[in-house]
Amino acid sequence: MNTVIETDNLVKRYGDVTAVDGLSLRVAQGAIYAFLGLNGAGKTTTIRLLLGMVKPTAGRARVLGTEIRVGSKKPWDAVGYLVETADAYPQLTVRQNLEAMRRLRPGTAPQAVDRAIERLGLGPYADRRAGNLSHGNAQRLGLAKALLHAPELLILDEPANGLDPAGIVEIRNLLIELARDQGVTIFMSSHILAEVSRLAQRIGILHQGRLLQELELDELERNRRRWLLVRTRDCQAACSMLRDAGFSAETTPNAAIRITDLAAIEHPEAIAARLVQAGHALTLLNVEEEDLEQYFLRLVGMDGGNSK
Amino acid sequence: MNNLAQAIWVEFLKARRSKMPLFTALGFAMVPLGGGFFMLVLKDPEMARRVGLISAKAQLAMGAADWPTYLRFLTLAVGAGGIILFGLIASWVFGREYSDRTLKDLLALPTSRSAIVLSKCIVIAVWSAALTVMTCLITLGVGAALALPPVAPQVFWRSGITITVAAILTIILTTPIAFAASAWHGYLPPIGVMILAMGIGQLTNAAGWGEYFPWSVPALYAQGENLGPASIIIVILTGILGLAGTFLWWELADQTH
Repeated sequence: MNTVIETDNLVKRYGDVTAVDGLSLRVAQGAIYAFLGLNGAGKTTTIRLLLGMVKPTAGRARVLGTEIRVGSKKPWDAVGYLVETADAYPQLTVRQNLEAMRRLRPGTAPQAVDRAIERLGLGPYADRRAGNLSHGNAQRLGLAKALLHAPELLILDEPANGLDPAGIVEIRNLLIELARDQGVTIFMSSHILAEVSRLAQRIGILHQGRLLQELELDELERNRRRWLLVRTRDCQAACSMLRDAGFSAETTPNAAIRITDLAAIEHPEAIAARLVQAGHALTLLNVEEEDLEQYFLRLVGMDGGNSK
Repeated sequence: MNNLAQAIWVEFLKARRSKMPLFTALGFAMVPLGGGFFMLVLKDPEMARRVGLISAKAQLAMGAADWPTYLRFLTLAVGAGGIILFGLIASWVFGREYSDRTLKDLLALPTSRSAIVLSKCIVIAVWSAALTVMTCLITLGVGAALALPPVAPQVFWRSGITITVAAILTIILTTPIAFAASAWHGYLPPIGVMILAMGIGQLTNAAGWGEYFPWSVPALYAQGENLGPASIIIVILTGILGLAGTFLWWELADQTH
């Protein structure tokens, strides 16, 4: 499998601020790779580095086999991108904005404009000035500009930004289809883990400029913490009993017992039987899983210890 | 410089669809229309006072109602006003990419950044030249409508050459404004630079060194000052530095907007 994006120890500093700190990653051809991080984590700076908009302080980046330098002329004919917000010339219509972009990408057929309008559902707005578009439609226009020339690689900064729930699903399906059917490689950033987990095959978690973790989607599932939540009439007594039996049990603020032992999680019925035999009638028995947001916040050290 | 023709097409589209051509045309049309107004007043000051075109206290020291006076007014206005108006055009053409946050869409394309910068410079030059031609045509129309006394064709040629040279010098001086718009990311900083340049121009003129300050040269030339080649060379060098700075900025600087 060819590597489409490759960075080695990429660093970008602005004065005393380190926006990207020693980033090394590989994105394979046809993959959907999501870059996840809080605001200010360095996602947009990484994208600007990949697009040759800013110079790295150290390290290097290669995109589609070309070493990226600021102002480099290659490999942009095969790359479509959306950086930060989707902006367009407000006095030009949707169609004129796309036509302008088409002309700046030589070799793109005139029909590409209509195709992009249709693909992004912009037909009813084609002759509306971009300045009068809703946030969601402006985002669609930004994506249409990125897709216009049928690129091999899409670099998208928060592609779901401003879209309504139906729009998010539509764009997600479009991106999945592009990767699956046309082998388009997609490198996207997001701060919404739930959205990323529905789209990406591989996820890189960026925090304060550093790549904290890179994992496949199934690894993400495996890494999420699980626990068994139990409630009885007398939680204190039941918890003591479980502890005496060797389980890692603790009471929670909402008057339940959380048990984190794998044996308990995999066999909740055994716990239920043990409690009932000891005279503790159950009012709740549930295996719970850390949600994606909790997992992410735990990873970046911002969960306040809630998901221990 | 690949795909330059298409880049020029795109820049013209962006300019054409905005209101700026209309505003700048109205602004520059004020020059011949204002001059025409004074010609009308000078033709018959008493009538102008009677109908209220000017107040009884108005002091008319402009000259006579004839073609040489009218053309001199036009020449001076293009020499001085062009610095502001052409500078505004350059501020807008470059600064809008920052204000509209569209710059990022121009930075990773198969069309080189140099082609985009050059296409913008070409649009500024053509736009400024078109305004100058429009102003001259309005002047001829207004003068003819006012039936100013006929003069030898050489009077028109001389004025035409002076206006053309003053306009070219002024257009050359838009490149540092383009650089200021690029380096300081928007419309307002280059307008500040323009005001600063004009302020310094006033000082250097007062001190008698105006012919060596680039932004004073077009107005001095339009006034008929006998400028040496040094003045023209200074303007051209300033233009080249502005252009080189703009190219280098677009090609090499970190673009974070």
